[in-house]
Amino acid sequence: MNSKGYFGSFGGRYAPETLMPALAEIERAYHRARKDSSFMREFASLLHTYCGRPTALYFAKRLTGKLGGARIYIKREDLNHTGAHKITNSLGQTLLGKYMGKTRVIAETGAGQHGVATATSAALLGLSCDIYMGTVDMARQRPNVFRMNLLGAKVNPVESGNKTLKDAVNEALRDWTMSCPYTHYVFGSALGPHPFPTIVRDFQSVIGTETRRQILAEEGRLPDEIVACVGGGSNAIGIFSAFLKDKKVRLTGVEAGGLGLATKKHATRLTPTALSRPGILHGSLSYVLQDENGQIATTHSVSAGLDYSGVGPQHSHLYTSGRARYTYATDKEAVAAFQLLCECEGIIPALESSHAVAYAIKAAPKMARNKIMVINLSGRGDKDIYHVAEYLGKKI
Amino acid sequence: MDRYSSTFAALRMRNEIAFIPFAEAGDPDLRASESIFKSYVDSGADVLEIGYPFSDPIADGPINQRAAIRSISAGLTHAAFFRLIGNIRSYTDVPIGILLYANSARHPGYSTFCKRASDAGIDSLLVADMPPEESEELAAAMTANGLQTVYIVSELTPPNRMKYICSKVTGFVYVVSRLGSTGVQTKVNVTVDATLKRLRKVTGKPLCVGFGISTPGHVRHMAAAGADGAIVGSALVKIIEDNLASKPSMIKQLSKAIAAFKKATKRPPSR
Repeated sequence: MNSKGYFGSFGGRYAPETLMPALAEIERAYHRARKDSSFMREFASLLHTYCGRPTALYFAKRLTGKLGGARIYIKREDLNHTGAHKITNSLGQTLLGKYMGKTRVIAETGAGQHGVATATSAALLGLSCDIYMGTVDMARQRPNVFRMNLLGAKVNPVESGNKTLKDAVNEALRDWTMSCPYTHYVFGSALGPHPFPTIVRDFQSVIGTETRRQILAEEGRLPDEIVACVGGGSNAIGIFSAFLKDKKVRLTGVEAGGLGLATKKHATRLTPTALSRPGILHGSLSYVLQDENGQIATTHSVSAGLDYSGVGPQHSHLYTSGRARYTYATDKEAVAAFQLLCECEGIIPALESSHAVAYAIKAAPKMARNKIMVINLSGRGDKDIYHVAEYLGKKI
Repeated sequence: MDRYSSTFAALRMRNEIAFIPFAEAGDPDLRASESIFKSYVDSGADVLEIGYPFSDPIADGPINQRAAIRSISAGLTHAAFFRLIGNIRSYTDVPIGILLYANSARHPGYSTFCKRASDAGIDSLLVADMPPEESEELAAAMTANGLQTVYIVSELTPPNRMKYICSKVTGFVYVVSRLGSTGVQTKVNVTVDATLKRLRKVTGKPLCVGFGISTPGHVRHMAAAGADGAIVGSALVKIIEDNLASKPSMIKQLSKAIAAFKKATKRPPSR
């Protein structure tokens, strides 16, 4: 990345002028905090004692046997406090907000995991908290809305646009242009104007460094392939970041194929389609789904966390440079993977993470038995059970 | 002389500031939109500020976002936008500034966009989510096509940055009167007076104030505080939204409002 926040030709700081001083302030504070041993110590200590890091790297013996190919390891990010990798970034950024003297944090949320994680961090560190969430997402993630309320956060329903993640980001940005003197915006993914994609990647890179250490201890060598789902792309960039230089480790991002790429009802940015091209959305230049007039296209996915028109700029760079490969899983494949992991391993995965599992179901059988695949299981799926039941036509 | 320079010079002679009304292009539909901008001119607009509708306008409040969505739903395309501007240009010689989001200009390519803008008779572009640091490529295309730059300054802009931004402006400086997005407010934010004073020390370029200017009283305040222009957006777009059922009544109320705003642009006698 260069000093203006570009990864290759992607990234940058496309922000309204009112936010420019705030972004510069965050960049300065972040550089200071990284070198401040007391800040870094507090962060590391909370990750260990509060979040439960390091999370386990687990050999999925039955899944491996069932698929009959590569040895499959699961990085158990679902075991984090609040049930997903999101807490790592939320804690880091809420600490950073406090470090800058802010008294309030705001965040957007899709699936609700980032909202819950930020509400949790704010409760822990004594800051007030507002969450923006599309009303469509609120309907499909009811338990998380109540969770955020319990944690003392105010959940602001967003009625504009598609009423999902993209619209929640719009509203959170509007709030921030007004409130930035006393508010830190805890961006939930490796998205947005510089320095957010870098900060989020750095905080989440602990997933990759742990995985590297764990697989070396377990297998004595690096894995052949690492798989992660990609919405904004924070869990993927977190685990990829520790392996970027190991060219032999194949990095695979799995996007939401929704109802299929022919239908326009999907959220696949990094597979060539008529809708996908580089564009500017929410502060950075990256691949964006857009129509023939440059209006941002609406998306569809069974999983709220992947239902977004843009993608983190570093993923666009890894895509065009060829260092990572990107593919997709449809709603149907993701739900089937969700069920398989429940039955086969006793793990209820988040619908987002189920997309990575769906890829493994397709790819692992084609790999030799001495190959190693790591799936980043970014979150647990308890939040999704109502939605899955509805999808399967069952009443609970 | 370019249209902005001659307009601001003429206004200074008359001891007035510029009244700059805004609407989204194509809101509520292309035909009505053309009538709206013509009525703005007929009722006393000195400059037109026209929005290029974008699906995700992060610097705009709910009123303007709804207007953008109405326009997009009514079928505004790249081509229709430039045809609309061309029609307005053949009707009037007032300067036309476009307020847009970066993706709208990037999508056809910055040079293509600027060439079309220039051919349509547009004078300036203000890209709401593109600070000067990210504007190099677009600014070069604008210069090549004779378009002027407008950038935003707010009360949070530090002194050095103010100087830097003003050095990049060739049209006018857009001073946001408050933090946050566009919208309607009842009381004017007086911190803008201090921002105008700070700006006057670093630049001779015209200073036009926008965001939240909703009444003729606010315009009078800006004239007294030393602004060169007042931009009114959401208050007018609200009139459009409230009269979707009757276009004649919409135009009548807009004309009345514009005339009242324009009346408030007299500068007080100099102290």
